[in-house]
Amino acid sequence: MKEWARKITDEKVRERYVNEVIERFRDKIIRVERNADNQWMIEIRKEDLPEVIGYIINHPEWKETQLSTMVGADERPLRGKFSLIYWISINGASGDVFFGIKTYISEDDPKFPSVTPIHPGANWYEREVKDLLGLIPEGHPDPRRLVLPDDWPEGVYPLRKDFHYTDSPKREFTDETKYPYREPPKGTAVFPLGPYHVALDEPGHFRLYVKGEEIVDVDYRLFYQHRGIEKIGENRLTYDQVNFIAERICGICGTAHALAYAQAVEAAGGVEVPERAEYIRTVMAEIERLHSHLLNLGLACHDVGFDKGFMDAFRLREHVMWLAERLTGNRKTYGMVVIGGVRRDFLEYRRSMIEKVIRELREGFQKWADQTLSTKTFVKRCEGVGVLSYKDAKRWSSVGPWARGSGRDLDARRDHPFAAYKYLDFKVPVYKEGDVLARCLVRAEEILESIWIIEQALDEMPGGDILAEWKEIPPYQEAVGFTEAPRGEDVHYVMTGEGNRLYRWRIRASTYNNFPALPDAMRGNSVADAVLIIASMDPCYSCTERVQVVDARSGKVRVLTEKELTELSRKASRGV
Amino acid sequence: MAVTLKYPFVKIEAPPEYRGVPHINPRLCIGCGACVNACPADALLRIDDYEKGTRKIVLDVGRCIRCARCDEACPTGAIRMTRNFEVATLDRKDHVEVVELRLHRCPNCGSYTDYTERALEKALQILPEGLFDGDEIRKRAILCRNCRRKLTVDDAVEASREVVE
Amino acid sequence: MSGYERIAFSFIAVCLILFLPPLLDGVARKIKAKIQLRQGAPILQTYYDLVTFLSMEPVYPTERLAFRLAPYIAFASAVSAALVLPYGRVIPVSFTGDIFVFLYVLAMVSIAYMIAGFSLNNTYTNTGANREMMIMLSIEPVLGLAIGTLALNAHTLRIGAIPFAVTFTLSVLLAYGLLAYSVYVEGGFIPFDVAEAEQEILEGVFSEYSGYLLGIFKWALMIKRFALLWLLSSFISIPLVRNIASGALGGALILVIQLMVLFLLYTSIAVIESMNARLRIEQIIRQNAGVFVCSIAVLVLAALGW
Ligand code: SF4
Ligand code: SF4
Repeated sequence: MKEWARKITDEKVRERYVNEVIERFRDKIIRVERNADNQWMIEIRKEDLPEVIGYIINHPEWKETQLSTMVGADERPLRGKFSLIYWISINGASGDVFFGIKTYISEDDPKFPSVTPIHPGANWYEREVKDLLGLIPEGHPDPRRLVLPDDWPEGVYPLRKDFHYTDSPKREFTDETKYPYREPPKGTAVFPLGPYHVALDEPGHFRLYVKGEEIVDVDYRLFYQHRGIEKIGENRLTYDQVNFIAERICGICGTAHALAYAQAVEAAGGVEVPERAEYIRTVMAEIERLHSHLLNLGLACHDVGFDKGFMDAFRLREHVMWLAERLTGNRKTYGMVVIGGVRRDFLEYRRSMIEKVIRELREGFQKWADQTLSTKTFVKRCEGVGVLSYKDAKRWSSVGPWARGSGRDLDARRDHPFAAYKYLDFKVPVYKEGDVLARCLVRAEEILESIWIIEQALDEMPGGDILAEWKEIPPYQEAVGFTEAPRGEDVHYVMTGEGNRLYRWRIRASTYNNFPALPDAMRGNSVADAVLIIASMDPCYSCTERVQVVDARSGKVRVLTEKELTELSRKASRGV
Repeated sequence: MAVTLKYPFVKIEAPPEYRGVPHINPRLCIGCGACVNACPADALLRIDDYEKGTRKIVLDVGRCIRCARCDEACPTGAIRMTRNFEVATLDRKDHVEVVELRLHRCPNCGSYTDYTERALEKALQILPEGLFDGDEIRKRAILCRNCRRKLTVDDAVEASREVVE
Repeated sequence: MSGYERIAFSFIAVCLILFLPPLLDGVARKIKAKIQLRQGAPILQTYYDLVTFLSMEPVYPTERLAFRLAPYIAFASAVSAALVLPYGRVIPVSFTGDIFVFLYVLAMVSIAYMIAGFSLNNTYTNTGANREMMIMLSIEPVLGLAIGTLALNAHTLRIGAIPFAVTFTLSVLLAYGLLAYSVYVEGGFIPFDVAEAEQEILEGVFSEYSGYLLGIFKWALMIKRFALLWLLSSFISIPLVRNIASGALGGALILVIQLMVLFLLYTSIAVIESMNARLRIEQIIRQNAGVFVCSIAVLVLAALGW
């Protein structure tokens, strides 16, 4: 382990944090339990939630503290109550600690005091437990629906255990079920963006309230792609199978999710992963970062009409995709990570392939960066646009390049060393400006860092097994697994269950923490930059929203017959 | 010098490591159902018909997520990932492969067992020669669960009777 | 000039005006593709696209007549603008004061675009129309002043006659620069293609057009680009050869050189487009305002006889 990693994961450092919290809230804490190496669960009463969480998150000396995830679970079959856990992490290279602040909520009184007024980053989480479990955050400033569709009936909570995963309640789309968008501020017009928009790539609906071309305010509606993956994971799939579904949460950062899930289960079940597997995981995660950042930088160029930069970035990226294909069998959804290790080894010929590709990539990328940054029109479009202040980034618990571009110095690879990162050296680029350009620069530097990480990992990779045997995972263990996806920290929480199945699985993709900050970055900018700003966050909708085709009006799934379809397209194309 | 190709007018070959569309070789499949249990996406189904005495292993490529779990689980190498990646079709049925196998029939009572003839054959094949009570196992293996239990009970009763006498 | 030459060249002119622009567009697309190391669509792709559009029935988002007429207005205006320019030694339509007509019909194309954009209750088309208006208001004066400077020098109010009479002075050279700039901006090439920006506002007004109306509108804009560049190319090529070219053969020579310059211009524009990102509207306006001040200075220079 490198010196820096030893410092961060030092037992004494961890204890200092934990002890301070225990000291301070001695009379409020019901139970403290250490779930895993770096994870402490602290049970308190629900009335104390805002105070305890506010204290940890807004602690003046613990700088990059943040709400990593929040989990609501239906533990009625176990304890007769619902539970909530706010997972708060210490970051900024100042100690490797996760606090799980847990509380139980009874069914007759499903209310709890909202933390959002103290820490806006809890906004979505609390709305989500309201939607899916029926737990009511009291004092929440924006209690509108978040996850469930507009026409989902009141009082049906899909994540409760008495809701079977194949259930489909009757839905009716009426005027009353229409989503209550905020009233446009006086003197503004509504500029709708999406749900389907060429430059958004995925469905998400924005309402930009504009004066002329200036964005005054923003409202949005997301979760068009909520697939109920968590529910399937808890009901239909075995531990091993979940891994592959987890990987398909996202088409870009699948490995980050698969890894976060595997690490969560490994932490809960005490599975030791062989060192070689850790290295392979690291290399795969970095290869994924390479392609994802190249994609995002390319799209940034595309969004401002600079197609040369776009195509060049994609050409570079293609070599990374081909490399992944040779290493794992596919361009994306590598299917490498399984609980206990990885599936394919890096044979010698594959190793030399990696070396060749990243060597060429470094050269090619440097050229690309020079060319793009010397394109004045491109820089002019990105500079000073979409500024997210440090304060806003922090109050929304933002992560990844989106936060690092605003001066937040946090990176799960360094702050909570997982996989083989603890054996490697790398920098975490941070920029203070908070504009689109800063985020592009963070990504550009990270690409070079990733190449460097891969090189080190290949050099230092030990021999040995790549997959640990594991027999049984003890039931009802809780843990979180975390990775630094290209877009920021991904956190998976698991509570193990019986019969080789999960009891509760909570996925938190990085975009989930980044998105709510978007309106802050967009206000005051021009409509022309809206898409660019959204893209600079590198949103990943399906990640965030974790399918079927339903007609919103009739609630029916309608499939066109082949004849109808041909008929329709013929009509459309020839106007007969 | 363009880097793009005139695809689909030129053929593209996937690399040897490629995990493409899975395919079942019906001659090798013994209908054990291991792949069905492994599949995370429910792309593989096992449908038994005890009236007609058939088992269908159904692979729906349209649901498949190309994870290759089935490939790893299959004891005979019947289901394999191919290097084919072009699945566009006008007929959804092109995505479905069905292997139909006969279920083994218990020679004693005549009802169908929950394993196929081929699975039994295979099991008997891999039974090592000269095993201690090999014949005994062979005799029992071909019976259905009920008859096997009955035989075991009968044997036990007989044995105890012998002891008593 | 013989009547036959007139008829022959006018015929060629009409053919060029109508059928060359899609080819130019196809060439530009191919060049961009090559710069981006792509195969790119066939050079004739824009023709195929046009034929497809023209064979399709449009969908009408509104009942307003303005919406239906706008593409035709744009088309007619663009063609008229191109007709007052010289092809060889022939100017198909020429009369004193056609300078103003040229500027006027050119503006009409933009105005048709704006009419279409404002005829709908759609923020995308409105924004597109708005942007078109701002760009037009900021660049047309520059174009006007540049042509005016040249007209002053050439002592003619026939736009097609200017290149045959212009003499080179400092102000004329500067006016050429301004002309090139305004042609580029008015043509809506990247970084100035904000009115039809695809990623930002879904191609503005075009987001509501379909079928043959879309085809005609797109065609009109291509012809407008052609007219603008033909203007520039004539102003460059004719002074080069006007002394040696006489008779029908001379006319043919001029036409060939005009065409060559046109292709050259189009090619360089495609290269510039590839190397740039789109600017924001207020950045463009600021820049154009600066250029406008320069163009007044140039006019003053010309008036002083420099
Ligand atoms: S590849 Fe995976 S999803 Fe596809 S059939 Fe096999 S196990 Fe199922
Ligand atoms: S695992 Fe192999 S042998 Fe068994 S049913 Fe599947 S394909 Fe057939």
